[in-house]
Amino acid sequence: MKWKWNRYLVAKKIHRTKESLVTLLKKRNKIAFTLIAVIIGFMVAIQYKTIKEPSIKQVRDTRDSYELRSGILKEQKVQTELVQEISNLEEKLAQYDTTRSQSKEQILSETLEELKSEAGMTEVSGKGIILTIKPIEENILLGENIPNASPELLKRLLNELYLYDAKEISINGQRIITTSVIRDINGQTKIDGKSVSRGSIEVRVLAKDAKKLKERIQVSPTIDNFYVDNYEVTISNPLDKVTLPSYQNSLNIQYMEPIDE
Amino acid sequence: MWLPIFGLLVGITLGLLTDIKISAEYANYLSIAILAALDTLVGGIRAHLQNIYDEKVFVSGFFFNIILAASLAFLGVHLGVDLYLAAVFAFGVRLFQNIAVIRRVMLTKWSLFKEKTEKN
Repeated sequence: MKWKWNRYLVAKKIHRTKESLVTLLKKRNKIAFTLIAVIIGFMVAIQYKTIKEPSIKQVRDTRDSYELRSGILKEQKVQTELVQEISNLEEKLAQYDTTRSQSKEQILSETLEELKSEAGMTEVSGKGIILTIKPIEENILLGENIPNASPELLKRLLNELYLYDAKEISINGQRIITTSVIRDINGQTKIDGKSVSRGSIEVRVLAKDAKKLKERIQVSPTIDNFYVDNYEVTISNPLDKVTLPSYQNSLNIQYMEPIDE
Repeated sequence: MWLPIFGLLVGITLGLLTDIKISAEYANYLSIAILAALDTLVGGIRAHLQNIYDEKVFVSGFFFNIILAASLAFLGVHLGVDLYLAAVFAFGVRLFQNIAVIRRVMLTKWSLFKEKTEKN
């Protein structure tokens, strides 16, 4: 009986050790399995992420031309804004400079000078031509009476010159201004109250395009009209420098008054 | 049974939480390695069910297969031959075979279990 019991116990022990061994083995198996499962899960996750969120390099590569264009546009806008800012600042700087250099007095005196030269109070010189009006010598030799150069003709000539873009005109050293008058006083042709000589009359004309002016006046009928009056008009070639004197009389302003402020 | 699945989940969460990324050139190698690892895993499960499981074979097979597959893909890239296709084919076929075996073993086990319960 005892022997049997012992055998049973031994068998039980052996069985237990076997069982524990198996469980141990199973556990170890499970641990290896688990570790490898962890590694596989890790790899899968990384692969998933790699495919789902491509790296920055790839993002740059996949930008198509429209995206690139819009990017360029954006940068260009920024650039234009910056350039505008720069120009604005430079403008301001220039403004400050001008306001500093140009005080009110300076501006006033400059304007005065401008107005004076425009009104003919200053001597001017520039490109132009010189017209010389002379009595025809043959007629003098024949004993014909030489009349005055008629004011109508002179006015006509002046108007025509102005029509052909003449800027400034002087006749025999007398500057013609807006209020100049040419008229016959007791058989004498007078400009602004000063008589024009019976001999040759010199008309100096300033013009931007002297050549054109000369060509135009050469074919004008006024020259022929002078010829009818026994006067001959010679036109000089365009000159680089023609000097006109200033207006000598004082300007008599009758109807203009400064406004009281 | 549940421990490996838990390990798989742990691995996936770890991979998703960490900020590791692989450049596009190496994504191919990783995909091949994953395929090899899956094949090994399924093979291990099958061996376990058939009671011929050996841990040494399993672990060594896991790493060896991965390395072999990756190096085969590498060689293929450098030779201009799509050798990784061979790996994909081999592992794919084996994966399906292993899964089929697992299915059959499970089916027989299940039918045995059913018979037992019916007897009782």
